[in-house]
Amino acid sequence: MMLAAIPLLPAAAFAVLAPMSRALRNSAKTVSLVAMTGSLVLALVAFAEVWSARGGEGTHAVFHAFLPIAPGHAFGFGLLLDPVSAVMLLVVTIVGLCVQVYSLGYMHTDERVGWYYAVLSLFSAAMLAVVLADNFLELYMAWEIMGLCSYLLIGFWHTEEGPRKASIKAFLTTRVGDVGFGLALAAMFALTGSFAFDVVLPASAGWAPGAATLVALLLLFAAMGKSAQFPLHVWLPDAMAGPTPASALIHAATMVAAGVYLVARALPVFVASGVALTVTLAIGIVTALLGGTLALVQHDIKKVLAYSTISQLGYMFVALGTASEVAALYHLVTHAFFKSLLFLGAGVIIHATHTQDMREMGGLRRKMPVTTAVFTVGALALAGVFPLSGFFSKDEILASLLRGGHYWFFAGALLAALLTAFYVTRLWVRVFWGTGSDHAHEGHRVMLAPMAVLAAITAVIGFASVAFAGFLGHEGEWPEVGLAAASTLTALGGIGAAWWVYSLGGVDTEALKARLKVPYDVLVQKYYMDALYEAAFVKPYEAAARALAAFDLGVIDGAVNGVATLWVRATQVSRNFDVNVIDGAVNGAADAVVEAGGKLRRLQTGRVQSYQRLIVGGLVLLLAWVMVLWPLLKAALKGA
Amino acid sequence: MNWLLNVVVFLPLAGALAATLLPKESPGAAKWLAAVVTGADLVFAAVLVARFDVAKGYQFATNVPWVPQANIHYHIAVDGISITMLALSALLSFIAVLASWRVENKPATYFAMLMLLEVGMNGVFVALDFVLFYVFWELVLVPMYFLISMWGGPRREYASLKFFLYTLFGSVFMLVGIVALFLYTGTFDLVRLASAGSALPAHVQWWLFLAFFLGFAVKVPVWPLHTWLPDAHVEAPTAGSVLLAGVLLKMGTYGFIRVGLPVLPVALTKGANGLPPWQPILVVLAAISIVYGAAVAFAQTDLKKLVAYSSVSHMGFVMLGIASLTVAGIDGAVAVMFSHGLVTGLLFLMVGMVYERGHTRKIEDLSGLMPQVPRIGAAFALASFASLGLPGMSGFVGEFLSLVGGWQAATAKGAIFSPAWVVVSAVGVLLAAAYTLWMVQRVVLGNPSRTVGTMSDMTGRELATVVPLVTLTLVVGIYWSSLLRFVDPAVRALLAGLGGA
Repeated sequence: MMLAAIPLLPAAAFAVLAPMSRALRNSAKTVSLVAMTGSLVLALVAFAEVWSARGGEGTHAVFHAFLPIAPGHAFGFGLLLDPVSAVMLLVVTIVGLCVQVYSLGYMHTDERVGWYYAVLSLFSAAMLAVVLADNFLELYMAWEIMGLCSYLLIGFWHTEEGPRKASIKAFLTTRVGDVGFGLALAAMFALTGSFAFDVVLPASAGWAPGAATLVALLLLFAAMGKSAQFPLHVWLPDAMAGPTPASALIHAATMVAAGVYLVARALPVFVASGVALTVTLAIGIVTALLGGTLALVQHDIKKVLAYSTISQLGYMFVALGTASEVAALYHLVTHAFFKSLLFLGAGVIIHATHTQDMREMGGLRRKMPVTTAVFTVGALALAGVFPLSGFFSKDEILASLLRGGHYWFFAGALLAALLTAFYVTRLWVRVFWGTGSDHAHEGHRVMLAPMAVLAAITAVIGFASVAFAGFLGHEGEWPEVGLAAASTLTALGGIGAAWWVYSLGGVDTEALKARLKVPYDVLVQKYYMDALYEAAFVKPYEAAARALAAFDLGVIDGAVNGVATLWVRATQVSRNFDVNVIDGAVNGAADAVVEAGGKLRRLQTGRVQSYQRLIVGGLVLLLAWVMVLWPLLKAALKGA
Repeated sequence: MNWLLNVVVFLPLAGALAATLLPKESPGAAKWLAAVVTGADLVFAAVLVARFDVAKGYQFATNVPWVPQANIHYHIAVDGISITMLALSALLSFIAVLASWRVENKPATYFAMLMLLEVGMNGVFVALDFVLFYVFWELVLVPMYFLISMWGGPRREYASLKFFLYTLFGSVFMLVGIVALFLYTGTFDLVRLASAGSALPAHVQWWLFLAFFLGFAVKVPVWPLHTWLPDAHVEAPTAGSVLLAGVLLKMGTYGFIRVGLPVLPVALTKGANGLPPWQPILVVLAAISIVYGAAVAFAQTDLKKLVAYSSVSHMGFVMLGIASLTVAGIDGAVAVMFSHGLVTGLLFLMVGMVYERGHTRKIEDLSGLMPQVPRIGAAFALASFASLGLPGMSGFVGEFLSLVGGWQAATAKGAIFSPAWVVVSAVGVLLAAAYTLWMVQRVVLGNPSRTVGTMSDMTGRELATVVPLVTLTLVVGIYWSSLLRFVDPAVRALLAGLGGA
């Protein structure tokens, strides 16, 4: 039950904070920090427990419990503690607490800081539930709650137009993927009558390839939405409208990685399908390159990091596509630390310079030495420079590509690595090198301390790669020399090129832009994908909705009113040639209908008497029917 | 406890009669009377819920001859499905009374109508004799007609008349069906009809199903028989909208569950010579209702119309679940019925509060509820997220189960409809998010508009109408069994009765 407390503590913090008045909530934000600290401690205990039980069978669950929430035992909340979830627990709680501490400084002047902490708590609870879930339904429910929190935090400053729009875009784009998730759940339930990992995953080996492919691709689609994979990546750069620490936690380290986690958990279904693995690989490499190229032309520091996240998530999907869950999860872990570090660093920089535009920055290394140091650690890790964590995790992905014989994809991945090193150096030079922001000042200790923690983890965690693989039940290997040399050369090449261009002025970038106007515009316009979606989906849907509304009013409702009018005419005719037997009743009914038709045509308010005549007329009509039916009824009674 | 069920049904009738006898000089007395009566009725309904044994079938039965010459009985009882709906009806009736506290135009008549309406609604969900069912069914029409036509908006005359005639049109066919069914089987008893009806020849079942379909589908409403709904909602007073969306629509889907499925199974799954089975027809209409309702809701400029069209969409999920003929699907259908009652009831309450303060429901005139009136804004946002089917709130439970059931039925051996319709329905979940968030963005978020800028936040009484709905939405959304433990056994019994059909 201690395990259940890990997500329940932050959930309770939300439940306590949410109903409070704003002032009270602002002063009670510590509740959130206390809960998160509690979760971290418990996560460490849980990790230690799994660690001491490691070996033997590999990835076996240390703890498993299930609470049904609906009759039939297929629906419920379960807790599954195995090496994968133990690692994820640590990542989420460490980054989560770092972000919460950092936010004490970053958000301290905001008048709704209490609400901010409440939503962070709810998010942490949901993310922790995602990684502890023992079944796909529970995972899905927590996944959607994360989506809500993401929406709320992106739109945190909702009185401004930009965040409002970005929040809707994020929710709807990820929900496009979630339609796939819902259908995947329906399909697996139809196939197995269950959502549980330990039922569905073993069973998938026996499914027809078509069924496995269907479920796998539907799950992949969901993961693509959440993890901002091409072509559903468009929401993530816009999501930077939210507070920067929230971006660090949700849109860099944890929630966007949940898609990777989902596919890693469901990997047996992908393996059973085969085709789905190839699709995953292709999506991953396209996304890695797409994110990398788009990051090249951004001027907003957060957008560079956002496209970088997209690209790195693509890297993880590449790993999943080679069926190497260890490589994918390991990169997820290292990325969570170094990317949240970079985002927190960006936050300090934005505070110091009051801008997000890198063209207005420069020379920060002199004013902000601590930030420069820790940011550099993160940047080098992202670029994949030995001995920082990114080097090791990227290497494992490259190795898995080679092992699978995916040479073209390997070349693509190297190219993405080159782009990564290039854009992160461009960012670094623009921000820290040269001259510019002279009035900048170093960030507050409460913001620097969490960054230092993340930097320290980033610096050492690379050496845990073999242990990590072993912990997850796989044979780990140190990087092979030739491959390590290739990836290091790639990284250094990217860094060197960017240094040459942006620091040494080796190329006149303005002239280059002019010469490469077309490709440059394509990048600035984000491959025209936003414009395409606007033109192909958003506008047509709006138009279709308006057309349907007009159709509803004109045609369907028009038909109803038309029938009423016709009926009125018909009854007028029948009254004029009145040969009715049941004259009283029918006349009464006809009168009512005449009135009715008149009303329906004129659509105006009228006199109270006419209401009464109408209602009487309606009842008479009813009576008339009964009288028509009465002979039938009597005949039946005689027969009975 | 059997007598108590009779009390729950007829106590509001006594209240309605008492309201007409109230002295004219104390206009405030009627609302207190109504609050006490509907409140007591809610307590009694809660007692029934507490005493209900989920392991047994129909409970708290009363069965006495009513018109012995025609074999008509006064037969009432509840199973897990009907007690759920009865509880919803009692809860929303009480809340509707609280939400009507400021009605000053002929309050005695108004509250008498509300209580009379509750008699009809409660009665429909407990009646097990078809004639009795029909009497309650039509009884509902009259007070709702007056609520709209006398206390409604500017186009109330048109809307109320349309509501009355359209649903009457539907129920006339139902009456024909009831009589015809009696001619064939000699009974009006719904329990006995389940076996007697299903033995009828296929073509008879098919035509009977058509008659019942017209009666029920208008009420749900199923596309394309839905156009009375937006007009009725827009013109109805807040309490009328709450009960119309919250309870009246469910009478239609309840009819499909209680009558359509068990009595006429062959018509559903096999059809008849040259006549197609009804199951795929219902599924297709459900899918169209879901997507069409969502799209049209997206284009609305009036808050109430938006919520009204969203009801068409949500009720489509109920129809999908019912038509799936699976346990998951029908569990889901009833869960949507219950949840939609809570959530849409809440949404109409919120629209009503906004209208009472700003005298407008135009979306373009409203923005920034959250900064100006945080309680109203928060409740509005919460209801919206429940409505778009966010897990952890009740809306998700039923829509998810309906989709699961639909997929199961579409991919089972011998399935007679394509899973593509389930996919179309699932897209409805996305479209629901689109119109709901779009509404939230413009109405709840942003800077307060001029209209909103003068508003004051929820009063204690208003809070009292909101809290129970919010609480139940969360409880059912997190712990599904709080609802499904009643529903599921009844659904299993229902489907077991269908046998090999």
